[in-house]
Formats: sequence, C-alpha cells, structure tokens
Amino acid sequence: MWFFRSPHIVFGEDSLSFLNTFDAGRIVIVTDKNILGAGLIDKVKKNLPENAETFVISDILPEPDYDNMLLHLDDVKKFAPDLFIGVGGGSSMDTAKILFALYERQDIHIYDITPLVKLNLRKKSHLIAIPTTSGTGSECSWAAVVSEKDEHRKNELASPEILPDYAILDPEMVLSLPREQTINTSVDAMTHAIEAYVARWANPYSDALAEKALELISNNILNVLNNPRNFDSRNSVHIGASMAGMSFSNSQIGLAHALGHSFGAVFKIAHGKTVGLFLPEVIRYNYKSSKSKYDRLNNLFSDDIRKPSLDLTIEYLFKKMGQPVQMNTMNINEAYYNENFDLLVELAENSTGIITNPEDINREGIETIFKKVHGD
Amino acid sequence: MANFPSSEWADEYVKALNGNSEYKDAGKTWEGDITFVVQPDDRYSKKWYLYLDLYHGECRSYRASDNESDIKKSEFRYTGPYSNWVKLINKEIDPIQGLMTGKFKLEGPMMKIMRYTKAAKEMVNTASLVKTEFEV
Repeated sequence: MWFFRSPHIVFGEDSLSFLNTFDAGRIVIVTDKNILGAGLIDKVKKNLPENAETFVISDILPEPDYDNMLLHLDDVKKFAPDLFIGVGGGSSMDTAKILFALYERQDIHIYDITPLVKLNLRKKSHLIAIPTTSGTGSECSWAAVVSEKDEHRKNELASPEILPDYAILDPEMVLSLPREQTINTSVDAMTHAIEAYVARWANPYSDALAEKALELISNNILNVLNNPRNFDSRNSVHIGASMAGMSFSNSQIGLAHALGHSFGAVFKIAHGKTVGLFLPEVIRYNYKSSKSKYDRLNNLFSDDIRKPSLDLTIEYLFKKMGQPVQMNTMNINEAYYNENFDLLVELAENSTGIITNPEDINREGIETIFKKVHGD
Repeated sequence: MANFPSSEWADEYVKALNGNSEYKDAGKTWEGDITFVVQPDDRYSKKWYLYLDLYHGECRSYRASDNESDIKKSEFRYTGPYSNWVKLINKEIDPIQGLMTGKFKLEGPMMKIMRYTKAAKEMVNTASLVKTEFEV
C-alpha cells in the first residue's frame, strides 16, 4: 500500500485570478521582504476577494528556524484567518504550512507535525501556496523544512495534512526572478526529478511526473536564461518544477540531497547549488542499480544536450547554465573545509536522503564522494 | 537458526547489532531505550516484547519476554502484528513506509528519533542478518 498526494493545481497565465473565486474573508499572507519589495504581494492582493481583510507577515528569513517561523503566531491567532497564503520560495511556503497547522490546532506542539499523528486540520481555515521561484516544490509537498538554531541541522516536519489545498503556478510571479536564483532553483528541481525517479519509494505516479518535469525543465531552461522574460519558457519551467516537487513528495529524495544539505548547512550556500554540485557524482555512484532508469531519463534530453550517459549530460547542461559540478570552482575556504570534513560527513550520514537513495552507502562511501567532488 | 520471536532470536539479534559497525557509527550519540512489540495475529497467537537499552552505538542490556510486566517502560515502542514483523525482517516492508501506512506504530518523541534515521535503518538491516525461522 502507498499513496499519491497532491494539491489542486491552478496553472498558467492569469492563474492568480483564481484567488478571487475563493471563499475567504480574513487572509494571512506569509512572505519575505524581497517578495514584498518586488511588488508581488500587490499582485496577489489585487486578486483577492473584494472586502477581504489581510494580515501580511513579510519578515520570513531564508531557511528560518522555529523562532522566526512562530514569531507572529499570537498575532495570527488574534486575527483569526480563514485562509493562509504562502507566497515565495520554500521558506515562506513552509512557514505558512507551520502557522496554518499551529493555528488550526492550538493544543499541539510543533513536533507533533509528523505523518504519524492525525491532526484533523481545516476546521477553521485553508492553505494556498504561490511559488515565486521554480524549484523548491514546497507548494506540492507535505513537508516543511525548519532549521535548528545555532546548529548545522535542518529538520523536516511532515504531515499529509500540511499539503496545501491549492498550488497556484502563475508564471507572472517568476518572470523577474534573478538569474542566479533561476539557476539555483531549476537545478534543485532537476535534482528532485532525477532523485525521485530512482528513489526506493519511487512509484508509477512519481515516475510519470519526474519524466515530464525533467523534459519540461531541461528543454526550456537555457532559453529562460537567455531570454528571462520569455513567458512560455518560464511557464514550462515553472510547471516542470512543481511536477518535480510532486514527484519527490511522493517518492522521496536521495543522496545528492543528503550531501547537498550537509554542504549547504556548513558553508551557507544556496540549496539548489549544493544539491546540483553532488548530482553527477551521485548518479555515477548509483549507476549500477539504476542504469535502466537513468538511461530512460537521459533520452528525454534534446540531441544538442544529451551525452552518452546521464551523469555526463547533467554535467554538460549544468556547466552551460553556470552551475558548479566541482568545489574548486566555488571559492570555498579550504581550511574551513578540512576543519569541518568530519561534520560534513556526519550530517550527510544522518540525512533522510540516505534512507531512500537506491544504493546503500556507508561513511567511507560518503567520504569518497566528498573527496571526488572536492577534486582530491 | 533462531525462531522468531524467541529469547534465542533476541540473543542473535543483539549479538549482530553490537557487531554492526554501521549501527555503531550511526548511533554513536544515541541514548535511549526502545521496545519492539510483536502483536498476535492469525500466524502467531501471543504478544512478545524485546526491550533494548541502546547507548552510544551499543546495546547495553536487553530483555525478551511474552509478559509485558517483565519489560521496563521504554522511551520508544515500535509495534506491529507478527506477519508484518516477518515482512520487515525479510525486507519486504520498508520500516518508515510501514509506519506511514499503519502497518507499524511508533510511540515516543518523534524529533529525537528523526535525527537517527540511519541508526533506525541499521537496526532493521541487522534483523534481516539474523538467520531466522518463522511460525508457519
């Protein structure tokens, strides 16, 4: 027995207008100061039902810890919303999920948000996610990533009940996404698709979404980087990224995420950049058990990008996009790397990506991959 | 070959766990006890408990019994019917998917155990290393 879970998806041009049809009068919007400054919250507000009252939380930090996420929980309770809207990247959407759960169930602790506890949410409100990047997949996932204060560690709180009711994929919200974030988030999305496709919990539903996601992103991302305001290409990458999110949310991620989470936590580097850094080497590590699936994915790339094997195709595409595949191109502090090598290995070893990676790996194996990507 | 569940199986399991270097490494900072609970079903008619006191990658002490009063109260309990334990030991059920689909229940502080997913996986892998005979 297994499940496939997904929010309702509203996508394409003018999809924000769906908000106007939603029966809600008191709306909490969760976002960050950059999204607010870019005018994207104004676009959302223009599409809300007439006379709806809003309470905007706009100080969500990148990779927030519990304190940052819960800073406004009391204000939210006083406001008594009937709808939460997370607008932004993973941090804002994940914070909206947590606030939604703890507003709905004021008697639970944040640690009760696990798949093993029935929460009975949606008695007072609903949850909508509107991504402003094309990559995290948070709008389609039932997990929320929370950093631990003063520690190089992230926790994944998960419950099917924090899956958004609706994900709104309006390409207008990503048209002005800066180049660096476009690269980081699309690399993250491609890594989601590839890891989901070979994960131990992969299933026909997650496979179908991973294939289409990779096709949409890989065939459009270079055009997006060359013509950032190309609506059709942005739309394809945006849809592809949410499909990749839906895929990994229903099958899990793997070793590239385990290594990338660790490296990103220690060096404070963007998530997409770090998971992509390890992806080609992880594909080589997994090739023995996943060759036929990797070969199938490799055939989805266009002729001008495809190389004889998936690891080489990914390396080629990533280099063309400006995504590093070796640490020596990233200007990392070598002394800091050497000092923290054991910590890097330990954090990777305890990441959930290890559990669902198709090949088992031990400490020595993790050390070897770090060393290869480091160029030792 | 040890029958599952039995004291002999518990002896073999703990011996294998303490000899598993992957578990030793993954659980090196873990401090806490857990009880495996086998519930009766149409293949096995009794309850069975295996209490494990786990400390820094080692099992310091253990107790197997079909009488709950013999078993210390532990921080965690991992519970499932006999037939699902057979599938788990034979690696036909993933332990985490088993929890999420209701085939097993886990009681105890979730955030603590979430930090030790590798150790949990190695505990299950170790069970599959024990040469086991099952009730028909």
